[in-house]
Amino acid sequence: MHNILVHDEHGHDSDGADVFGFWLYIMTDCVLFGTLFVAFLSLTYPLMAGPSLKDYIDLSQVLAETFFLLTSNLTFFIAILYLNKNKIFSAQLWLAITFLLGVGFVYLEIHEFVHMAHEGFRWNVSGHISAFFTLVGTHGLHVSFGLLWILTMIIQLPFIKTSQIRTRRMTYLGLFWNFLDIVWIFLFTIVYLTGAI
Amino acid sequence: MSVKKFLSMTLIVLLLLSLTACNHQMGILNPKGIIASEERKLFFDALALMLIVVIPVIIMSLVFVYHYQVSHRVKDYKPNWSHNLYLEIIWWTIPCIIILVLAIITWKKSHELDPFQPIPAYKEPPMLIQVIALPWKWLFIYPKQNIATVNYLEIPVNQQVEYWFTTDNVPMSSFFVPQLGSQIYTMTGMRTRLHLVAKNIGVYEGMNTQYNGNGFAGMRFQAHVVDPAEMQRWVTKVKASSNHLTNQTYHQLLNPSFSEPPKFFAGTPDDLFNHVFMLYMMNTGPNHPRENTNKFHQE
Amino acid sequence: MLQELLLGKLTWADIPFENPFAMGAGVFMAIALVAILLLITFMRKWSYIWHEWVSSVDHKKIGIMYLILSMVMLLRGFLDALLMRGQQAISAGHAVGYLNPSHFAQIFSAHGVIMIFFVAMPFMFALINLAVPLQIGARDVAFPYLNSVSFWLTFVGAMLCNISLVVGDFAQTGWLAYPPLSELYYSPDSGVDYYIWSLQIAGAGTLLAGINFVVTIIKMRCKGMTLMKMPIFTWSALCSMILVALAFPVLTVTLGLLALDRYMDMHFFSDFSGGNVMLYVNLIWAWGHPEVYILILPAFGVFSEVVATFSQKRLFGYTSMVWALVVITFLAFIVWLHHFFTMGAGGDVNAFFGIMTMIISIPTGVKVFNWLFTMYKGRIILTTPMLWVTAFFTTFAIGGMTGVMMSVPPIDFQVHNSLFLIAHFHNVIIGGVLFGYFAGIIYWFPKVFGFHLDEKWGKRSFYCWVCGFYLAFMPLYIVGLNGFMRRTDHYDNVLYQPYLIAAAAGACLISIGILFQIIQLIVSIRKRKQFRDHTGDFWNARTLEWTVSSPAPIYNFAFLPTVSTIDQFWYDKERQIGEERIHPQDIHYQPIHMPKNTPLGFIIAIFSGVFGFALIWHMWLLVCIGLIGMIATVIARTFSTDTDYYIDAETVKATEIAHFKEGVHA
Repeated sequence: MHNILVHDEHGHDSDGADVFGFWLYIMTDCVLFGTLFVAFLSLTYPLMAGPSLKDYIDLSQVLAETFFLLTSNLTFFIAILYLNKNKIFSAQLWLAITFLLGVGFVYLEIHEFVHMAHEGFRWNVSGHISAFFTLVGTHGLHVSFGLLWILTMIIQLPFIKTSQIRTRRMTYLGLFWNFLDIVWIFLFTIVYLTGAI
Repeated sequence: MSVKKFLSMTLIVLLLLSLTACNHQMGILNPKGIIASEERKLFFDALALMLIVVIPVIIMSLVFVYHYQVSHRVKDYKPNWSHNLYLEIIWWTIPCIIILVLAIITWKKSHELDPFQPIPAYKEPPMLIQVIALPWKWLFIYPKQNIATVNYLEIPVNQQVEYWFTTDNVPMSSFFVPQLGSQIYTMTGMRTRLHLVAKNIGVYEGMNTQYNGNGFAGMRFQAHVVDPAEMQRWVTKVKASSNHLTNQTYHQLLNPSFSEPPKFFAGTPDDLFNHVFMLYMMNTGPNHPRENTNKFHQE
Repeated sequence: MLQELLLGKLTWADIPFENPFAMGAGVFMAIALVAILLLITFMRKWSYIWHEWVSSVDHKKIGIMYLILSMVMLLRGFLDALLMRGQQAISAGHAVGYLNPSHFAQIFSAHGVIMIFFVAMPFMFALINLAVPLQIGARDVAFPYLNSVSFWLTFVGAMLCNISLVVGDFAQTGWLAYPPLSELYYSPDSGVDYYIWSLQIAGAGTLLAGINFVVTIIKMRCKGMTLMKMPIFTWSALCSMILVALAFPVLTVTLGLLALDRYMDMHFFSDFSGGNVMLYVNLIWAWGHPEVYILILPAFGVFSEVVATFSQKRLFGYTSMVWALVVITFLAFIVWLHHFFTMGAGGDVNAFFGIMTMIISIPTGVKVFNWLFTMYKGRIILTTPMLWVTAFFTTFAIGGMTGVMMSVPPIDFQVHNSLFLIAHFHNVIIGGVLFGYFAGIIYWFPKVFGFHLDEKWGKRSFYCWVCGFYLAFMPLYIVGLNGFMRRTDHYDNVLYQPYLIAAAAGACLISIGILFQIIQLIVSIRKRKQFRDHTGDFWNARTLEWTVSSPAPIYNFAFLPTVSTIDQFWYDKERQIGEERIHPQDIHYQPIHMPKNTPLGFIIAIFSGVFGFALIWHMWLLVCIGLIGMIATVIARTFSTDTDYYIDAETVKATEIAHFKEGVHA
């Protein structure tokens, strides 16, 4: 839904209000992830029957996912720098690199999921596994949504007339992309690292 | 105006009627157990505390609205008077004090009347009854006596009874005998507990209060409170019956049924209660433990 | 194979031909719909409706549409209530009544869902849309297009819920769909899926609207209006919208997880395989309790406005009022466990949540005293809005009292799930929320439509409503204390019956009240010339919305106002009695920048409806179409540059002159 927020320009020349609105959206997304974390923790910690995450985590792969996602943030930042210098093509190029890194992340995650499911760690086996797939999957879904948005942005950049709107839209996208990184860091520590121990 | 008067008169008459017509109280107003008596007392204490504020509010609201109407041309009109420190301190403090009193009572009573905790006044170990909520009926297991009943509870007067609850093949339910005391939810894979003491011999309505499907309204039983000697006779009689609760009969009970009449069983499978709640706790995989044997939802 | 892809699980057997109630309602709805469509065609109003209403991003029009939605759904929800009261009045002893258990369950579930989500919520958003932008001196909300999306999502959610009447069935689980009853194993029908998707869609709309109004109130207040100079209704709306933004994501997640359980065999809330029923109950109430405050806070705001206006006196203790609102907002999040003391959480936890709950009564009590002392030494005009407020005091005091009593865990052990609880929350939701909203809509009606409502019929309906309310719910307290449980479709003990008959009579009295309200509306529309509000300040009120014409011009304010005190308008009126206003002819107006109408909000919502309906019936092809449609529409909007326009200065001038002339003639 978040795209709606972003692309609403009705001429109240109030960038402040728009950005504030986007921050509020991010906050609601925080509540969403918070709730999912609560669900995950409460279904994990009184240890129930069924396979446990510990036996299925491949930390090296998770590390690779982390690398892809964090690097994609860096490349996004470079894109913004170029945009500020009004170099649209370079900005598009770096956005494209960001996109590829993001695709890499999603690919690795899907690969990991499929592998786990094959090994018997399936979402319909126990509440704990359901919560794992849902929590990590929701983040993955957000990333995929972000990818769609980046793609739209790459196509759209040359068509946007004023640099004000360009910057504003990139700010939203940047906030969103950054937010997903932060969520990932929580996922990495709470789900994977503590899960692996 | 006459319409108004007529309506309010009807209202008052009906309310009075309904208040006076309660000779056959079946709930908290007519308690027959220690816990229910305590709860009744607490109910009226809280009511009294609240009325300290509520009655003045109702009176003030009616009097002010009536008195200060434009048509009454009250001289005393202060359109910009909107602040008075003392008044505001008064109505921040009085509710605070009332709530403080109520909070202290609540803290104390929540611990005293916690259904999981034994009632301290009764020293001897409580009698245990294990209760399993089944599709629209209650199964009562008396493990020590080695008997079981469906939709029929018999307990000794003046003796503490500890109830354990779990559920099998029916959504979350809630066990309640209003005149004896508290209600408590029953859930699969879990054991909730309740301690009650009945003070008067008699027959009291027991029920499920949590909606759990089509047979909800009929998921009722009668709780018979009898003196201990009578209880002993009843147990002996049930034990003499040839009707045993076997795994097979238990599986029949697992099928949904409406308003089941009481049933009595001599002998129960070993540790049936624990077996049932462990079954749900240890289950893994996509299928409900009863899906293939006793499907809950029947077309 | 193709049929499965297209139609999913849907077959002719899912249409309840054998059920006279559902079919009757369905046929009635279909006839009404066809009649409306024919009428529109006949009057050649399609273009008008499409361009001026469906595509509108004007907060005033969106407010009116919310209002209509809520009124229509009120009729549906109230019919459900009548059916339930009738069933319980009849179905004692050997009589079984006219509803079978599963139909009864659908009705009580639908009643709750409709009344909360599709009556109270749209009604609240109607009032907020109609009043808040005008009260803060703004030309529109922060995101007008988003506002239209929000409304249409709510609308589609409501429609989805109505479709369940004729295609498939509705949830048989109660309004909060507690698992495991709502899990696939216990409820394999489409009912719970209707529940999930209609609430998800409407909930998304609500969440977006919540964000929208928080931004509007924080960022778009006129010059000089600091937070502590905002009208109290705006304050209450702000608190309520903050609660929306914090609580609704929890609902989204909770229903989402329930959907995963049902669609993908997951085990969040199953009663086996490591699911946890208590998790759902905690989560749904972590949303559900704030939801109650989301509804009541704006009603408190309305009371503040109405009491001050009709006592012709400043609101007593403004600062106290604001702090009380803020405290309630905060406490709303730490009391949710009081809805399930009987789950066996233990003394410490139960006592904590019980005490937190009763603490809420302190700021609430303070508010009541402040309202009372606003009336004290005022000059009260007993109009219908003021009558509703008067009834509110007594009703809400009783409801609040029983609420505090139930917050004591051991008392709750006795009355939980009984009709005592039902009586309590109807006492606060009808006596607090609904009475407040009624007062609000009568109060703002002249501002919205340009003419006021008929007082005579208004008073008649008021008396029927209030008497009917007491008759319907006071007996429920008594049977509740006597061990009569909610959601009971049949009982053997005939001693309960007189009370339930009285309650049914009360419900009938309320329905007469509703009938009178409909008459009131018709009479008022017919006399609209006579009832016209010429000045724009029909009630001699205090806040900025009354400074502009009724109905407000599309741009709201020709010049954005500046304020320096609370109730600036009243303050000005007090000091300028008899002073001439400047003739608009002599004012130099500026062009005004406004957002353009767009049907995209409606289109997104329609796709979401397709998406939801297809998910309910597992029509996977349609699911994809709905989803892609939604995303594509959203992206398409980002490419459009033609989103705003200017109203030229001449038009503004002409509008203002017309309003000025009308005021002078009056």
